[in-house]
Amino acid sequence: MRYLWVCFALFAAPGPSRAADLKISENHVFMLRQDTTKKQQKDSLPADTGQKPKKVTLYGKLTAAFRKDPDELSKFPAISLQQTLKGNYAGLYVQEPSGEPGSIQNMFLRGTPLPLLNKRNVYEAQPLVILDGIPMVGEHPFAFDVQQYDFNRIGTATNLLTNIDINNIESIEVLKDAAATAIYGPRAVNGAILLTTKAPGPRRAITFNTFFGMAQRPGVTTINGKYENEFRQRFYDIYTTNGRYSDDEVYPVYLSDSLNTVYSGKSDWTDLYYRNALVYGLNLGLMGGTDRANFRLSLGNTKSSGVADDTGLDRYSVMFGINMRPVKWLLFSAMVNANRLNRDRNRSLRDRFAQINYFPDMTAPLSPNKDFYGSYIDAYKKGFDDNKTNTVQGYARLVASLGRLSLSSTFNLDYNESYRDIFYARTLLQGNSYASNYYGLNQRLMLDNKASYDLDLAGSHHFNFSAGQSVMWDLFKYSNAYAYKGVNDYIKINLLETDVNDPNYLNPLAFPKQLTYRFLDKTQDNLVSFYGKADYTFKEKYFASVLVRADGSSNAQPTHRWFYAPTLSVGWSIKNEFLKDNTLINDAIFRVSAGRIGRTNSYDNYSQGPQYTAFVGYTGNLTVPGYNAFGALTRSYSFGWVGYDIPWAYSDQLNVGADLTLLDNRLSLAADFYTKIEKNLLLGVPAYAEYGYTQAIKSGMSVKNTGIDLTLSAKVLSAAKFTWNSSLNLNHNKNVLRALPGGLDQLVIGNRLLRVGAATDQYWLLQNDGIFTADAEVPLVNGQPQKYNGIALKAGDPRWRDQNGDNQINDDDKVLLGNAMPTLVGGFENSFRYGNWSLSALLYFNLGRKIINEESAARFDFINREGNSDVASVKEITFWEKRGDYSRYPLYNPWSTVIPYRIDQDLFLENGDFLKLRSLTLGYELKSLFSRKDLMKRLFVYGSANNLFTITGYSGQDPELVGYNGYDTGYGMPIPRTYTLGVKLEL
Amino acid sequence: MEKLSKKKMKNILYLFISAFMLSACSKTLDIDSVRSVSEPNMWKTLEDTRAGIMGVYALTRAALSDNNCHWIYGDVRGGDFLSPKRQDLKAVIGNNLNASYPVIEAMSNWTRFYAVVNSANVFLENVAKVKANDRRYTESNMLVDMAQARFLRAYAYFYMVRIWGDVPFILSSGEGSFENKPRESQARIMAWVEQEMLKAATDLPFVYSNNDPQQPGNYYNEDPGRWGGALVTKNSAYGVLAHVAAWVGDYSRVAGYTRFVLDNYGKSGINYTGTADLTNPNGFFWNKNNRQMLGFNSDWGHIDGSVTGHLEELTLAEPVTNKVVPDIYIPKDTVLKIFNWPNDDRFSIDTLGQPRNERYFTNFNGKYPIFSKIKSIQGGSTDPNFRYFTSALVFTRLEDVLLLRAEALAVLGDRAGAISELINLQSRRLVPNITDVFIDTNRDVVDLIFEERHRELLGEGHRWYDLIRYNKIKQSNQAFMNLIASGGIYWPISRKLISRNTLLTQNAYWN
Repeated sequence: MRYLWVCFALFAAPGPSRAADLKISENHVFMLRQDTTKKQQKDSLPADTGQKPKKVTLYGKLTAAFRKDPDELSKFPAISLQQTLKGNYAGLYVQEPSGEPGSIQNMFLRGTPLPLLNKRNVYEAQPLVILDGIPMVGEHPFAFDVQQYDFNRIGTATNLLTNIDINNIESIEVLKDAAATAIYGPRAVNGAILLTTKAPGPRRAITFNTFFGMAQRPGVTTINGKYENEFRQRFYDIYTTNGRYSDDEVYPVYLSDSLNTVYSGKSDWTDLYYRNALVYGLNLGLMGGTDRANFRLSLGNTKSSGVADDTGLDRYSVMFGINMRPVKWLLFSAMVNANRLNRDRNRSLRDRFAQINYFPDMTAPLSPNKDFYGSYIDAYKKGFDDNKTNTVQGYARLVASLGRLSLSSTFNLDYNESYRDIFYARTLLQGNSYASNYYGLNQRLMLDNKASYDLDLAGSHHFNFSAGQSVMWDLFKYSNAYAYKGVNDYIKINLLETDVNDPNYLNPLAFPKQLTYRFLDKTQDNLVSFYGKADYTFKEKYFASVLVRADGSSNAQPTHRWFYAPTLSVGWSIKNEFLKDNTLINDAIFRVSAGRIGRTNSYDNYSQGPQYTAFVGYTGNLTVPGYNAFGALTRSYSFGWVGYDIPWAYSDQLNVGADLTLLDNRLSLAADFYTKIEKNLLLGVPAYAEYGYTQAIKSGMSVKNTGIDLTLSAKVLSAAKFTWNSSLNLNHNKNVLRALPGGLDQLVIGNRLLRVGAATDQYWLLQNDGIFTADAEVPLVNGQPQKYNGIALKAGDPRWRDQNGDNQINDDDKVLLGNAMPTLVGGFENSFRYGNWSLSALLYFNLGRKIINEESAARFDFINREGNSDVASVKEITFWEKRGDYSRYPLYNPWSTVIPYRIDQDLFLENGDFLKLRSLTLGYELKSLFSRKDLMKRLFVYGSANNLFTITGYSGQDPELVGYNGYDTGYGMPIPRTYTLGVKLEL
Repeated sequence: MEKLSKKKMKNILYLFISAFMLSACSKTLDIDSVRSVSEPNMWKTLEDTRAGIMGVYALTRAALSDNNCHWIYGDVRGGDFLSPKRQDLKAVIGNNLNASYPVIEAMSNWTRFYAVVNSANVFLENVAKVKANDRRYTESNMLVDMAQARFLRAYAYFYMVRIWGDVPFILSSGEGSFENKPRESQARIMAWVEQEMLKAATDLPFVYSNNDPQQPGNYYNEDPGRWGGALVTKNSAYGVLAHVAAWVGDYSRVAGYTRFVLDNYGKSGINYTGTADLTNPNGFFWNKNNRQMLGFNSDWGHIDGSVTGHLEELTLAEPVTNKVVPDIYIPKDTVLKIFNWPNDDRFSIDTLGQPRNERYFTNFNGKYPIFSKIKSIQGGSTDPNFRYFTSALVFTRLEDVLLLRAEALAVLGDRAGAISELINLQSRRLVPNITDVFIDTNRDVVDLIFEERHRELLGEGHRWYDLIRYNKIKQSNQAFMNLIASGGIYWPISRKLISRNTLLTQNAYWN
C-alpha cells in the first residue's frame, strides 16, 4: 500500500480536485507528522495550497516515529548509501568488507534469500534502490564469466550507490514486506529502499551543507623479516633436524639473512601506507519558482579519502528537479541526478595480478622498510589506474488529475557508464608494461503508466482502484581490452592504426598485436509488467488492499514467460475500534500482509534452455578465443547444463505486525514478524560430470527467512529545555534451507554444504581437538592408523574429530558450524537536546555471527604459500603487520600433506560479535544568536566523531572487514575513526 | 474543479493510451541472447559444424592443459623431476595422490575429459542436420568432420583409461536424462578405442586442403598452412593406435600400426626433426607444423599463447625466464645418468665435464639445471621477462612412433630390427661430424630402447606410461609390479565425483 505514497508523492503540488477525495483523519495526519515538527518549516510542498501530504500509509503508518531524518543521517560522513543506512533500520544488514572508499558494499534485507556461494549470488540478493520512482539498475555480474578470480568485478568496481548525496534526500524508507514492495514487482523481490529527493517548491530557499574532517591514521604493530623468521623457526626446530624438511627444500632468502636491511631492518612502511586523510562534503541547494513552475537545483562535491594506500573517492554531483503545471490538472515534473565518481583504488598486489592475469616471480615480497617500499610506490606512480564513473538518473513524468481519476505516465532512465584505464610501467612487472582500457555501461529505460480512481460510498467506505503497466529495458555491456609489453613506458595507451587503407588498420601500434586481448559482452533483460490494485478503507478501522500483477521477463524461458502473483494486505485499527477514549494508548494498529513476488533470472542464458557457448578455456586461461583462430561453440560445460521448463522463481512473504503508541506518544513500538519463503530458486547443482558438465542449473531450491524486526522509540525525557530521545532497532533473522532441487537432502558445492533444514550461511568444518604429539597417539583400528582422506596421520598433525567413528577423517566428519550472517543486528541511538545544544550517539552491533580467520590460516600455512607464482603466494605490504593472536594455534607440522592449517576446520572459526560506537555528534543551533531572526532559517554547526571504538572478542582486524562469505582474508582496509566539523545553513 | 476543454482532455487521454500501447509490445520479451546460442539456432550452417568441431579440439586442449596436467601426469609422476617449492608437485612425485592440494584434486577429476567426449557425442548426433540444411556442407566434409570427432572421443577415452583405469563409458550426449553410469572395464573400452580409431582412420585424410582424395578442396575454405599440425590426420590415428596397442600389450599390432606411419608419414608432410630444431624457441614445438603428428597448438599469431598450460611454466626459470626457482627440475646426477652416451647432441658433457650445449639443459652447473628442451617463449624469442608461452602440446611425433616400433620389434623378438630402428633415431641425435652410433650389444635391447625414449621424449608427457610398459615387459621390479597389480598406477577418482555418482567406486589402492 505504500505505493500509494509514491503515487501521491507525484502530486507534489496537488490540485484542489483531490483534496476532497482523500479522507484522511486528522488523527492520522497528526501521527504522521508527529516527529517532523522541527522539519515542518522545511517542508518543500507548496505552502500556498495549505495541503498536508497525502500519505495513505496503513502499513508502518507509525513509522514516522521511527523514521530516520536524512538531515540527521547526513551528519555521518558517509560516501555511500550503504554507509548512511547501516545500523539505522531494523532488518537492513549492511556489509562493509573494506574501508576503502567507494568499494563494493552489500545490503541484505531480512536475511539472504539465496545461499551466497559466489559473488554472482551477492548481486542477485541485493535490494532495489528506488530514487524518486526510478528503480536503479546496478551492475550485472556477467563480467565474472571471464575472470579467473572474483576479488573484484572487472572495470571500475565502484560502488554505484555512492551516487546519492544525502543532502538531496527528503526521506528514506526501507520497504521490507510484500505489502510495500509488491507494487515494484520482481525487481524488488529482495526488498526496496525508497529514496525521495527534496522536491522543488515555490518557496525560495538556499541551503548550504558542508563538513570537513579527517580520517585518522590507524595505529598498527609492524613486524619485519627477523620476526617472521623467528616465527617460522619454531616449526623448523620441532619438525626438522638440520633446518630442512627435505633435501631440496628452499628456505626463503628474504628471511634467512638477519642482516639484510631490506627485510630485517626497520619496518616503517606504514608511513607510506597509512595516513591521516581528508574528508569533506559540500552541497549547495537552491529552490524557487511559482506554484505553477518551480525548481530545485543542487550542486555538490564530496571527497572521501581512505586512510590506507592512497585510496579515495571524489564525487561531483548535480541534481535538478522541476515541476510545471501548464494547466491546473496537469503536472509535469522532471528530475536529473548526475554524478561523476572518480575513484583512487588500492595498490594491492593481489588485485593487480588478478587484473593483469599474470603472476610474476614472488620469491621476494615487498620490503617493510619504507626506503625500499617507497621505490615500489614510485614505480607504481609511473603508471595510472583511473576509475571514472558517470551516472545519471532521471525521470520525466506527466500526471493528470481528472477529478477522481488520475493518470500518470513516467519515463525513467538510469544510465551509468564507467571507464577504467590502467597503465602499469615496466618497472612494476619485471620489465613488462601493461595497459588496459575498460568501458562498461548499465542502462535501464522504463516506461511506467498508472491510473487510479477514488471512490467513496456512503461516506465511510473509501475505495481506490489503480492499474499500472510498465516496461523496463535493461542493457548491460562492456568492452575490455588489455595488452602487455608496450614499446616503452611513455606510450601508455593502446594506440591503434587509424588509417583505413593500411593493412594493419585497427591493429595495435605500441603493444604487440599477439599480446593484445579484447573482450566484449552484452546482455539484455527486459521486463513487462501489468498490475491492478484495489484499496479499501472502512471508517478508519479496517483497511484492505489487493494487488494482482503479471510480469513477463525476457530472461524467463519462452514456455514460462509470464508470472502471475497476488498480494493481500489487511489492517485493523484497534485504537479506533476499541480504544477511542483510552488516553494511555494513543494508537494501536494490527496488520497482516501476504504476497507473492516473482524473481527474475539474472542471466539470459537461463532463458535459452540447452545452449552453446564459446567458453573453452582452462584454469588460469579462461578466455581461450577458440581453436586455431576459429571460434568454437560447445555445450555450456562450465556454465552448466540448462534444461527446459524452468519456471519462475518467486518469494512468498508473510508479515504480521503491530504498531503501538503509548503514554502521550512518548513510547512507540513497531514489531513485525515475517517469514519469507523463496521457491523454485535456481541452483547450479554439481552433476553430470560424466557428460562433461561442472553443474546442472536446476530449479527447486527453497530458502526460508523468518525473523522479527523491532523498532522502539522513546521520549525518555521531554522537558521544555531538555529532551532525551532513545531509539532501538533490532532484527533477528533465522535462515533455513527448505529444499534443494530434485528433492536432494544435501549438496556439497565448493567448500560449502547445503543441507535441508540447516541455514545456508553455515560453515562446513572439521572439528579440531588439538595435536598428535607422537605417532603413537594416532588411533589404530585393525592395525590401520587414522587417515585423513587416505593419508595416515602422524605426529604433528591435527586431531580432527572422527564424527562417524570410522577412523577415517574425511568430508563425512565435517559438521555445520556457525553462521556467516549475524542472527541479531541492531542500532541503538540516544539523542539529547538542551536548549540549542544537541548530542547524539549511535551504537551498532552484530551478534550471533562467526568469522573464519583466513588471514591467520595463511600466515601459519606458510609452507604452501611461499614463493610460487600463484595467488596463494602473494604477500601484500600488510604482511608486515601483526594481526591476530598467534598463540591460539598449535604448532602443527606445516609440511604435512594433510595441510594442518587448512581453513576448513574450526581452528580458525571465531566469534564475530561486536559493538561499535558508530557516531557521536554534538551540535549547536546558532540561529538564535543572531538578532535578526529572518536573516536565516537555520545555522547549525556540529562536530562528529565516528567509529570511535569497537568492542569485540575477534582476534583479527575489525570484525566488519569480512567478505560476504564470512572469510577474513585480511584484505579489508580499516574503517577509520573520522572526525568532522560541519555547518548546515538555510536561508 | 475548473472546466476543461474537451479537446484538450481528449488529447491528453490519447497520449496516455498511446503510452500504454507502445510499451506493451511483446517483442520486448523475445530476445535472443547474444552471449550464447540456443538449440534452435545451432546446427544450421557449415559455420556451426566448424565451430562444433573446433570446440572438440579446444576442449581436448583444455583438458590436457588444465593445471599443466599432461606433464604432471606424464613426466612429474614417477619421473626424474624434483620440485623445490611446490608441495602439491612433491606429493605427486612421492605418489601421494590423496594429498589434499587443489591441483591434485583437480587432476583427479575427469569432468574435463568427459566434456571432450560429450562435445564429440553432441557433434556426431547433430552433424546430419547441417548436412540437410546447408548445401555447402559436402558429404566428404561431413565424413572428415565425423572422423575427427570420433578420433578425439576415442583419444579422450584412451587418455582417461591410462589415468584412472576403468571409467564410465558413454557414447551418447545423454541429454534429457544424463543417467549416472558405473565404471566400465578398461579392456572393453580399449577394444572399442582401437576399433573406433581404425574407423576414424579410414575417413581421415593425410592432409587438409592439399588435394587429399578424402578431403578435396580447401577444408573450411582455408589453405593447408592454416591446418597443418592443427588437425588430426590418418597418421595421427595410426600413431595413437600404436600407443593404444602398446598399452594393452598387443605388440604385433603395434608393429603394424607403426609400419603404417613409417610408410606414410610423408603424405602428411611429416618428417624427422633435427636436434637443433627440436630445441629451438621457434623450432618444432613452437606454434604448429605438420611434424606435430598429434599436437594441440597455442599459436602466437592467433593470440593463442598463454602463461599456463605449457611445460615451460613448470620447468623454466632463471636464466631462461625471470623466475628464481623452477617448479620442477632434474638434479644434475640424474641428468648425467639419463644422458649416458658420449656424443649426444641433445645433452652430453665434453671431456672437461662441461655440457656441450644448452639444448636440453640450461645453467646445468647451477643449483637448478633448467630443463629447457621446450622453451617457446612468446614469438619464439629468448626474452626472459615475460613468461608467455606458445609451444604446442605434442602427444606424438615421428620419433615417438619409431621408438614404439623398436619396442614392438624387441618384444616380438626381432632384435636386429629393433636395433636398426634405434640406430635410425640415435643417428639423428649425434653431435655434428660424428656418424657412428654406439650400441652396447651386451645389454637388453628393451632397456636401450626405453632409455632412448627417456632421452628423446623427456618432457613430452610419456615417461610415466613408458615406465609402466617397461615394467610390464621386464617384470623385474617387484615394487613396481605390486603397484601395477594393486592399481596404484592409476589416479584416485575425485571424491567429489564419487559423492555425486553413487555407482562409482574408488580405485582400491587409494581407499
